Amino acid sequence: MFDDKAARPIRRNRLLARYNVAAVTRCTHLLVFFSLLSAPLMGGDLEQQAYNILQKNCFGCHGAGLKTSNLDLRTREAAIAGGERGEAIVPNYPERSRAYLFAAHAQKPAMPPGGELAEAEVDILERWIRAGAVYPVAEAVKEDDAARKAALAAMEERPVTEKERAFWSFRKPVRPEVPNNGEANPIDAFLRAGWQEKQLTPSKAAERRTLIRRVYLDVLGLPPTPQQVNAFLNDASPKAWETLVDTLLASPHYGERWARHWLDLVRYADSGGFEYDRDYKQIWRYRDWVVKAFNTNTPYDRFLKLQLAGDEYEPDNAEAVVATGFLRLGPENNIKTEQTRMDELDDIVSTTSLSFVGMTLGCARCHNHKFDPIPQKDYYRIQSVFYSTRPREYPLVSADEVERYKAEMKRVDGLVKPLAQRKEALEKPYREQIFAERVARLPDYMQLAWKTPAEKRTEGQRLNARQIERTLQIEEKEILERMSAADLAEHKKLTAEVEALRKNRPEEYETAMVIGEEGREPLPSYFLHRGSPGSKGSEMKPGVLTVAAEAEPVFPAPPENATTSHRRRGFADWVASSDNPLTARVMVNRIWQHHFGDGIVATPSNFGKTGMRPSNQPLLDWLATEFVASGWDMKHMHRLMLTSKAYRMASDDIESNLKTDPRNRALWRMPRQRLEAEALRDAMFAVAGTLDLSQGGPAVLPYIDPALFQGSSKRTWNGKPEDDRTTWRRSLYVFNKRSIRYPLFESFDQPDMITSCARRNTSTTAPQALLLMNNAMVRMQAAAFAGRLRKEAGDDAAAQIKRAFELALMRPPSPSEMDHAASFLAKGGELALAEFCQTLFNTNEFAFIP
Amino acid sequence: MIGRFGGGIAAVAASEMLARAARLDPMAPRAPHHAPKAKAVISIFCYGGVSHIDTFDPKPLLAKRAGEALTGKGEVVVPQGTPGGLMPSPWEFKRYGQSGRWVSSLFPHVAQHVDELAFIHSLTSISNDHGPALFQMNTGSIQAGFPSMGTWLTYGLGSESENLPGFVVFTDHRGGPIGGAPNWGNGFMPAAYQGTQFRSTGDPIVDLLPPKDLPPERQRRWLDLLQKLNQEHAERNPADTELSARIAAYELAYRMQSHAVDAVDIERESEATKKLYGVGEEPTHYFGRQALMARRLVERGVRFVQIYSGGGNFQESWDAHWDLKANHEMHCGETDKPMAGLLTDLKARGMLDSTLVIWHGEFGRMPISQRMDGRDHNPYGFTVWLAGGGVKGGVAVGTTDEYGYRAEEDKKSINDLHATMLHLLGMDHERLTYPFNGRQMRLTDVSGELIKPILA
Repeated sequence: MFDDKAARPIRRNRLLARYNVAAVTRCTHLLVFFSLLSAPLMGGDLEQQAYNILQKNCFGCHGAGLKTSNLDLRTREAAIAGGERGEAIVPNYPERSRAYLFAAHAQKPAMPPGGELAEAEVDILERWIRAGAVYPVAEAVKEDDAARKAALAAMEERPVTEKERAFWSFRKPVRPEVPNNGEANPIDAFLRAGWQEKQLTPSKAAERRTLIRRVYLDVLGLPPTPQQVNAFLNDASPKAWETLVDTLLASPHYGERWARHWLDLVRYADSGGFEYDRDYKQIWRYRDWVVKAFNTNTPYDRFLKLQLAGDEYEPDNAEAVVATGFLRLGPENNIKTEQTRMDELDDIVSTTSLSFVGMTLGCARCHNHKFDPIPQKDYYRIQSVFYSTRPREYPLVSADEVERYKAEMKRVDGLVKPLAQRKEALEKPYREQIFAERVARLPDYMQLAWKTPAEKRTEGQRLNARQIERTLQIEEKEILERMSAADLAEHKKLTAEVEALRKNRPEEYETAMVIGEEGREPLPSYFLHRGSPGSKGSEMKPGVLTVAAEAEPVFPAPPENATTSHRRRGFADWVASSDNPLTARVMVNRIWQHHFGDGIVATPSNFGKTGMRPSNQPLLDWLATEFVASGWDMKHMHRLMLTSKAYRMASDDIESNLKTDPRNRALWRMPRQRLEAEALRDAMFAVAGTLDLSQGGPAVLPYIDPALFQGSSKRTWNGKPEDDRTTWRRSLYVFNKRSIRYPLFESFDQPDMITSCARRNTSTTAPQALLLMNNAMVRMQAAAFAGRLRKEAGDDAAAQIKRAFELALMRPPSPSEMDHAASFLAKGGELALAEFCQTLFNTNEFAFIP
Repeated sequence: MIGRFGGGIAAVAASEMLARAARLDPMAPRAPHHAPKAKAVISIFCYGGVSHIDTFDPKPLLAKRAGEALTGKGEVVVPQGTPGGLMPSPWEFKRYGQSGRWVSSLFPHVAQHVDELAFIHSLTSISNDHGPALFQMNTGSIQAGFPSMGTWLTYGLGSESENLPGFVVFTDHRGGPIGGAPNWGNGFMPAAYQGTQFRSTGDPIVDLLPPKDLPPERQRRWLDLLQKLNQEHAERNPADTELSARIAAYELAYRMQSHAVDAVDIERESEATKKLYGVGEEPTHYFGRQALMARRLVERGVRFVQIYSGGGNFQESWDAHWDLKANHEMHCGETDKPMAGLLTDLKARGMLDSTLVIWHGEFGRMPISQRMDGRDHNPYGFTVWLAGGGVKGGVAVGTTDEYGYRAEEDKKSINDLHATMLHLLGMDHERLTYPFNGRQMRLTDVSGELIKPILA
């Protein structure tokens, strides 16, 4: 805010200097006094000058194309009549004329938006209004539709210049020469070149025990077992590390770990948020699709294409259709208006651009992007890609089964109907009686409204009578209390019959949450001036980010038998194209970020001007071109990074480097990374030996203290009454409810799943400590860990301590650690072992990837 | 439209720096932008939407035109449909204090304090739906996922309490508000700034204390072992500030256990004080305890305390869609005396000058009837009041129209309210920014102007 802060006082000072009063608007009498002293200069062309200023700066939004705020400044009459805020021009009184006050930045909103008039121009407006605000004889104001459309279209254009296209991230990466400095892995070669340039010393190689802990937690999100540690320590082969890396990348748990990173980006949750926070019972199928895509090494271009348009690429492939669940992940507003639909689309457009191409396109919803060369029109062209989509519950069973289900439902409903009618008839006399009694208790004016014959009612009486008719509710209970014994018996019998029929309705078939469209013809969508659905501009054709496309891509016409517009497919073809300058860079940067703690671009979802520049662009570009050349092979990229020497550096600081590169941007050491909430929970369960490693399927709802979500029936957490084994699955499978967060996850910075998150916060707080100190689940796992130690190490304290360190920290205790632990156990009695286990869960070493 | 992006690259860098400082030691006290009037805020949130025309904004015309249609105001929008005619308030209004402000018979105790209250009668919000309206009142945005008022304050100013969370929330015993925790969420900011939910019975924080059946010294024993192990680990990694921060967090957590229990231990208060808040009598006992706890927390340096009055379903919140009379008599009865007690108590202790009290709902209610004797939601014009730190008592800003339907003079937005709150706490709402997904985010988004007439 610095520069506009700096500008405002100058502007204010100017006004103060002019009037020499403190509060311009409240001292009207003073103003009049001053205005008498400063006789207005009546320049011959003052009228024309003022008109020109208005035309240039104001008519765009307050003229032919738009009448923003219902204001038209093109004629004197219209300007005096004003808009929603009131009069815009009060002839002879600039200090009461909003048009002047806004233009002089004496009142908000300052006008014109995003700019400001020169001081001389403000002066002209002031003098002109004081002189009566006479408009020059201008050509007649045109109000025809063609002129309006032309004016709108002109406002919507914002050309992108060649200079803007030259920004580093908008130019397609060119594969750089790998520095020839003796390093075998190109990553190491590029990094070494960077260290040499800045005279940094790289860290030494990390120990094998450190490495195996690091790579397991990083690649699988799980700690290695002592057997796995020993196997690696004892592998004398020169390819021991490469073998380990390959083993991990082939593990099914790799997909679970890396799906979690992806789910942060696409703000995956198992419920809809907003007022009702409805549970999404089927959305887990999308989550499982992501896990499988990572595990089967689906090429990244295909991975993106299916999420955007799987139904258009492969309509007969259920998995491809399930992938479009991506477009259902956003929060779901229960209020359905044009505005909330625009908000939903904004969420999709923003999430897609942040996650897939690292651009803050959402900033161009109301105006051209302030920093990046992204025209507002790009936003609405891309919005039109998604505009026709609508929710669809996709049957995962055959069409026959769906038909059978519908037929059976219809049959049952047909049987219920006559029974329900008989019930209603039975209730009718009682209902009428109660109704009359209740009306008699209403205020006089209400009773009068009810008694007055319909045709004689006033407007108010009509409303109140309708309100009585429609909202005077009588509960079944009240009716049953009055029923005769015979009627009551009959009523009960009918109710039982209806319930019996309903109970036998068939179970609904399995579905997936996906999207569809109404047909081949897309719905028309429009440029929205200032982002307002009330200010529609030109109709939009689908498009892409102009600055990141060498040529305007052609959106193919949908095939004859298509059920959708194929706009998403056209868009996906651009996103996942090898010509796209952003997509590959953005994804290799994300993979890098998770392995090495920080991205080469440290703002992983913002490759624009306000984002960080790459710390090593040749490295980033080499990786991006390698990614595309490998056929968008994600495991290939993992392997390249994991087998680099850089990945195997120690995380220790080096004093001399701290002066030149304290933030380790040149990656001269491995940074230590705190375990994410989910990995921390998984590690506790794994070490305790209680983790259920089964994969996929509906989410589990572990116990949450009801004090955290008590009361409201609109939000439910159908959790277990206490922690039990059926919920001891990996954290990926814990139900993600938007309004009721799992406390451990919330506390340890799991993002809120409402907006795309590219990099988690890592805050360190006392409530985190309290949770690991006192939470029943943590204590339960510590007890299980103690039980495991007794089983595996017997009753000998030293053996228990040694085993505990091996299981939790992948190393034997140091002599002093052994001493501390031994004396702790010796004096602590029966409970001490579990307390010792909980101590290990709480150590810094346990909470960090080394 | 300038504001959302601040002033460009320089501002981005400045706000990156604040964000980074906040990451390293989130709760360290930070300098405000200008001299603050208030140090802390107590927000009393009448969840469900309190009726302004039955409490502080009398509209005699409703009685004169009872049953007539509301006309001349454009299309009358009621979220639940079936609008009725105009409905008179079931309560009498009287003028109180030197200022002669109107208060209905629902708030006899608060009425004694009108000269300390600044009313805004012309507040407006965007949504007539609880969820978005709650989010807007709490975060400035009708969408979930934005940081709440208390988050912004603790981010901007840190906390003055070393042993307690900086931002505390009490929900009603009948349930939490719609939208849940995002109402006091940190949004895209670090978790350190989220509101901590305090319970008003039992242990104040979930997982605050070890099980009661264990002697407390057992925990101290293993925490000592933990710090020995952590110390040895830290010695191998001396430059890593994250490790030392985490060691410090355990010490703070340990202290918090006793301090948090002490902070909410109202048994330490005199009988006279408890009586002032209506503690120990019905129907004020529950809310009175929370109000008294709020004072104790603010006394100990907590920056922002929010108390929800009303929760759960139907008449359990202020959402009087039917039987307005029973609904508001219950909720006002529960809160009137404790709120007056809070103001009296703060003043007596010299704390009112530095504590900003805000009374509000998420919107007001309609002048026309719903379901014969209730009122539907009304975001087009409603009343909130502020008291204490830096607020000029006895003033009233803005009006609603003759029916209390729409704000008429001096229409104010929630951004304006938030800007004013931040100002009183010493923060400039345009300079308090946090970088997120390429934007410099603000509590007040791209607008917000100070409500100057209420500033002392």
